[in-house]
Amino acid sequence: MVKPTGFMEYVREDPAHRPVTERVGDYREIEELLPEEGIYRQAARCMDCGIPFCHAYGCPVKNRIPDWNDMVYRKNWRKALDLLHATCNLPEITGRVCPAPCETACTLAINLPAVTIRHLELQIVEHGWREEWIRPEPAGFSTGKRVAVVGSGPAGLPAAQQLSRNGHEVVVFEKSDRIGGLLRYGIPDFKLEKWVIDRRLDQMRAEGVVFETGVNAGEDVSAAYLLRSFDAIVLAAGATAARDLPIPGRDLKGVHFAMEFLTQQNRRNAGDAIPEGEAISAAGKHVVVIGGGDTGSDCIGTSRRQGAASITQIELLPKPPEDRLPTNPWPTWPVILRTSSSQEEGCERLWSVQTKELLGEEGEVRKLSCVKLDWSDPDSAGRRTFREIPGSAFELRANLVLLAMGFVHVEHGSLVRDLGVATDSRGNLVADRNCMTNIPGVFGAGDAVTGASLVVRAIDLGRLAAAGADRYLVGR
Amino acid sequence: MPYVTLISPPPHHDIYSIEDLAQLIYDLKSVNPRADVSVKLVSEVGVGTIAAGVAKAKADLVLISGHDGGTGASPLTSIKHTGLPWELGLAETQQALIFNGLRDRIRVQVDGQLRTGRDLAIAALMGAEEFGFGTSVLVTLGCIMMRKCHLNTCPVGVATQDPVLRGRFTGAAEYVVRFFRFLAQDLREHMATLGFRTLDEMVGRVDLLEVQPAVEHWKAKGLDFSAMLLPPDNGRNGPLRRVRPQEHEVAKALDYEIMALARSALDRKEPVRIELPIRNVHRSVGAALSGEITRRFGAKGLPDDTIHLTFLGSAGQSFGAFLAPGVTMHVHGDANDYLGKGMSGGRVVVTPPEGATFLPHKNVIVGNVVLYGATGGEAYFHGTAGERFAVRNSGGKAVVEGVGDHGCEYMTSGVVVVLGPTGNNFAAGMSGGLAYVYDEGELFDTRCNLDMVDVESVWQEEDIKRLHAMIESHFRYTGSQRAAQILENWESRLPLFVKIMPIEYRKSLERMRMEEEINPESVSATEEVYRG
Repeated sequence: MVKPTGFMEYVREDPAHRPVTERVGDYREIEELLPEEGIYRQAARCMDCGIPFCHAYGCPVKNRIPDWNDMVYRKNWRKALDLLHATCNLPEITGRVCPAPCETACTLAINLPAVTIRHLELQIVEHGWREEWIRPEPAGFSTGKRVAVVGSGPAGLPAAQQLSRNGHEVVVFEKSDRIGGLLRYGIPDFKLEKWVIDRRLDQMRAEGVVFETGVNAGEDVSAAYLLRSFDAIVLAAGATAARDLPIPGRDLKGVHFAMEFLTQQNRRNAGDAIPEGEAISAAGKHVVVIGGGDTGSDCIGTSRRQGAASITQIELLPKPPEDRLPTNPWPTWPVILRTSSSQEEGCERLWSVQTKELLGEEGEVRKLSCVKLDWSDPDSAGRRTFREIPGSAFELRANLVLLAMGFVHVEHGSLVRDLGVATDSRGNLVADRNCMTNIPGVFGAGDAVTGASLVVRAIDLGRLAAAGADRYLVGR
Repeated sequence: MPYVTLISPPPHHDIYSIEDLAQLIYDLKSVNPRADVSVKLVSEVGVGTIAAGVAKAKADLVLISGHDGGTGASPLTSIKHTGLPWELGLAETQQALIFNGLRDRIRVQVDGQLRTGRDLAIAALMGAEEFGFGTSVLVTLGCIMMRKCHLNTCPVGVATQDPVLRGRFTGAAEYVVRFFRFLAQDLREHMATLGFRTLDEMVGRVDLLEVQPAVEHWKAKGLDFSAMLLPPDNGRNGPLRRVRPQEHEVAKALDYEIMALARSALDRKEPVRIELPIRNVHRSVGAALSGEITRRFGAKGLPDDTIHLTFLGSAGQSFGAFLAPGVTMHVHGDANDYLGKGMSGGRVVVTPPEGATFLPHKNVIVGNVVLYGATGGEAYFHGTAGERFAVRNSGGKAVVEGVGDHGCEYMTSGVVVVLGPTGNNFAAGMSGGLAYVYDEGELFDTRCNLDMVDVESVWQEEDIKRLHAMIESHFRYTGSQRAAQILENWESRLPLFVKIMPIEYRKSLERMRMEEEINPESVSATEEVYRG
């Protein structure tokens, strides 16, 4: 067991962020690793709870958190790494970008700062890479079954790796030019540098996973072809259909979906040239980000680095409280005011604001016409309604408007249509306990099934879909 | 005793049979006739037979404890691998009690992760009248089931002595009240569905329970519940619940005669001297008297030797049980098992009858399990004792002229002087207190269990004084020739004494001495425990 009194003796230390003035000048990761000495103290804060809520309630992949905390404290890094990999295929990704629902569910978080679980995860896996302990683990046998994985994001990659390690021949189809999906083109480099993905892809290639980039499944290869040539198909295409803002002026120049903007910057960082006509830049512009979530924050950080003149973020919902409300107790996810590293770098944040119209000149956006909202208290079902505050209309200057209002569901393109996969009222794929859709042998994983969610949930569903597909293929 | 490991669960060396249990219940009833005695049994195969025995041993309540529960300090192996569901034990108990015509005189309680009104309704229908709750109530107070109750590190302040951690406790009595209110409401709804107005009507109505056949589980398939759900026999063997109290008959005890004679002491604290014959049918002599003294004067009792009782004959079991301060009991004759059980003060002296021709230090004068769990008082035995002398003694002082096996086992405090040979396994599990043994044969270390104690010679001034004083007292009260000889040749006999010192107890004494020297506020107990 970890030191019983560790939590009483040591305080939480968070990894340092590079200073704002330095980090806004480049796209490198902003977080630094804690020195190893401090790490043992942080691991010692784990209480090895009888009921570990971090593991059983918080973590979607059920990481064995108390166990690897213990191993870090004992400096048994190898064992810690094995425990970590037993439940998570991409710990170097979740160790960087996970919002860590484990930490908000940590028992210490009832009355003290939680254990630095996410950072310990990162330390363990980076230690493993440094020591070259992370090597290909090919199955060593073949079942003779072929599986197609559509999509190479945080659900597709774990699904592919798990299936390949179970002896199946796995081909991953990715419509984009590089593997990684949302990890590659959705998350800015300052949160996740892309060599991190490449390192893991090398391992997967060595294990026998075949990656086909630039192939849009359903278009470039037909659904019928996939069904014919593969014994199972895992649909892990994500929930990429973005929520739109159908208001007057939406078609003005300078109004873009967040993902178009973020993807371009990641491409530039990777050395790609963006054609003049398509380029979206925030340089010298007044940027308004609509949507107060993580994607919105990514837009802020990217705009700041591109040299925006001003950045304003507006959110429909009211400003959340500083601390948990009684209706939002531990260990539930706390709905509280958070300030992301990008918001810290400087932007104006407005809450309870609805955009009524986008105003432009010569076809280019110039202003947003907004109104302030008054939100009701939650009713018995917890729902809140809003009404516009009369006379509160105001305008915001904007040359670039980025829509970061979330994603609705998986794209209902030719693949979903031709396979005949059922979708629910929200537009997500319908999957059973084994993650299988209504079409035998076709499985759903990640955001395509749940709607847009966390990377760690996608990993979990990727693993579950792989397990389901494996049972289906091997007949267990 | 701070820093001394508590051996938990405590071994009950006073109960090896149902007769021992009956005696313990009689002792408890004697010292406090107003209290109900409950016997907790683990739900397991054969618990019905034990429960019937418990009913015959005249317990007022029997508790059937299921396997799901457990404190946060229980070892994982116990939580996972011991006991059976309360349903099995309860069904067996109810049936065994009914079929033996014993159900009318004992209340049946049940516990083991009871949480909802439905649990209570099922338990009542299966025969339980009272219900125990542990985990669920603690959770309403903020317990998060850390399973650290024994480490003093409970982070929500429920099970800890650390002032900082206790400050984090956020529970309130109202939460418990609310929980029970909801629970009662839930039970009422189930009762209404079943058509019952009172819980009494419900108890034992197994005929109203059905097995839900829809449970699809490979382990549940093919299970036959008919033996568990055997319907009650319509009252042919008596009621399905307790309808009358046990007949304890404690009021017939010798103590009530003594109390009548000692009225002036009880009313006005005037010293009295009483002489009575005694026989071995007189059990728990002194218990009811001590109960009365404690009720009147509290734990401090009466001034030393206020009530001086002299008995002639053979004392029965549990002589001087729970003895209170202020009472001296001297037997000229001998005494049975459990003498001085749980005594908290006073003095017990046992000497051979006048004119006895045998050598006292070669003959047994008191039975087994003497001074079990004593917390105070003193005892002098002019003769040897049986097995398990001063087991779990936690404060009593005693001088005896020889003991059987397992002497001073699990002792935590107090002082024992043995002026003669000991049996095997002396001081097993002894975590505190002191023992001095007169080791004439110099073979004591082969008989002592050295797992937790050191054996050393008596050389420190403090020890020599203490030992000398106790042997002097022994001589004064008993006139022991053996004591006299040792005292006369003190210089030459002292080197034959050995001191039995528990290792933990020594560390604890040193630590406390150090703490007195430094500022006691600066070191928290928790820190100390883990620095070991």
